Amino acid sequence: MRPFKLLDPRSLDEACQMLDRYGEDVKLMSGGTAILILLRQRVFSKPYFINLKAVPGLDGIRDEPGTGLRIGALATLRAVETSPIVRQRAPLITETFRLVANVRVRNSGTLGGNLSHGDYRLDPPAPLLVLGAKAVAVSSRGRNTYELKEFFRGLFETALQPDEILTEVVVPDAPPKAGTAYFKYTSLSETDWPCLGVAALVTPSDGGGTCGELRVAVTSVAERPMLLEHLGPLARGKRLTERLLEELGDAAAERVDPIADARGSEWYKKEMVRVFVRRAVREAARRAGLAAG
Amino acid sequence: MEAMERQIRLTVNGQEHELTIRDNTLLLWLLRDDLKLVGTREGCGTGVCGACTVLLDGRPVNSCLTLAAQAAGHHVTTIEGLATNGRLHPVQEAYIEERGFQCAFCTSGFIMMTKALLDEIPNPSEEEVREYLSENICRCAGYPDILRAVQNASRKLAARGR
Ligand SMILES: Cc1cc2nc3c(=O)[nH]c(=O)nc-3n(C[C@H](O)[C@H](O)[C@H](O)COP(=O)(O)OP(=O)(O)OC[C@H]3O[C@@H](n4cnc5c(N)ncnc54)[C@H](O)[C@@H]3O)c2cc1C
Ligand code: FES
Ligand code: FES
Repeated sequence: MRPFKLLDPRSLDEACQMLDRYGEDVKLMSGGTAILILLRQRVFSKPYFINLKAVPGLDGIRDEPGTGLRIGALATLRAVETSPIVRQRAPLITETFRLVANVRVRNSGTLGGNLSHGDYRLDPPAPLLVLGAKAVAVSSRGRNTYELKEFFRGLFETALQPDEILTEVVVPDAPPKAGTAYFKYTSLSETDWPCLGVAALVTPSDGGGTCGELRVAVTSVAERPMLLEHLGPLARGKRLTERLLEELGDAAAERVDPIADARGSEWYKKEMVRVFVRRAVREAARRAGLAAG
Repeated sequence: MEAMERQIRLTVNGQEHELTIRDNTLLLWLLRDDLKLVGTREGCGTGVCGACTVLLDGRPVNSCLTLAAQAAGHHVTTIEGLATNGRLHPVQEAYIEERGFQCAFCTSGFIMMTKALLDEIPNPSEEEVREYLSENICRCAGYPDILRAVQNASRKLAARGR
């Protein structure tokens, strides 16, 4: 690993000033689980890193009535997974985070590091997208809030500007009676990075029996995690029959442009999107008290 | 460029150390090369095998993906820190009794994970054991023996009243 200087800011302000001062020569470091691999493999290096773990107060998890869950960017994946408040307010997050990497990585890796890395093979973006989460970033210019659906821009590319620090993820409450589900599919070992992940949220319509709102997000398939907003209108007001589930799977597969990798070819991933969108919506509907089929 | 070294305090197996390290030193290297605690192993170096597992403030982490500078001020427990007064820890005894290893390259990682698991969930179901240890890799002993070792260790700790 090439030598570097690790800077220890005492406050968020100081961290922002360091980003301004060192510009191109500096990168943020939270848990280090993603970045240290790149450094060790010498595919990446910088003369300076900013140790965000040195900044106090960025790892809180709390529920703010009217706003939703506020999860600090420095909260570890494991802290989010095991948080009683998260389990109560957003069980979909708990369900998903349990499936990320392994306990050791989850103990070090942070939510902010996970999202900011912009890797396409991540689990957390899918549930956060269907829950309508927002990412809050801070720089010396001020505060910026990004809708998560506009946050992921491309391969290892997010909307974050070079001088911005992701400080918080805000997750609004799910609509009443919503059923949610996350399906992670791995095609190599069971605990591998996802070949693909699908999160779904379904609410029953007012009269019951039919689908009210449907939200679906897929991750690890294309170059960025995506909210498939065209699926909602296809299901609204309808019974979620097997036939409709199949149509939804097909409509999802049509929209994605998969990246072929060690976990599946383009064709394979499209086929798996078809299958897992169906399964995730069926399960979310069941949990919303809607009998599918 | 400013100095790329720093002084840190680190408590390892209950003993406090004052060390001068380079900022890019991994906890794994510090333990093995500087403190000569070579029970912690390096397998993959990328977070997937668990051979390098140590406890940081009681929680298992990959020392291969942890900067020593970020561990400063915290408590590290390695395999060398489990025995007390020359007596092996019940988890270690359980691995011996159940023959939960052959070459033992992976074993300190498995034992540290088992310790962490049983601290968190004293009487885990088989499913919980499998989930917790799912990304610790053993290339020779066989996982059923390891599973039995975990269950044995859980009984031992219960009998001892932890
Ligand atoms: C073995 C292994 C298996 C894995 N499997 C999975 C998996 O199955 N599913 C999955 O989703 N993920 C998986 N991951 C990825 C893991 O979730 C990420 O490595 C982790 O979440 C990154 O968090 P970190 O705090 O360690 O980030 P770091 O490594 O510290 O940083 C990652 C990137 O984000 C930037 N950054 C960090 N914090 C901030 C911030 N607050 N604001 C702005 N930028 C920031 C850094 O500059 C860097 O570019 C796996 C990782 C490993 C090592
Ligand atoms: S050497 Fe650290 S996980 Fe394999
Ligand atoms: S005992 Fe040899 S690798 Fe596990």
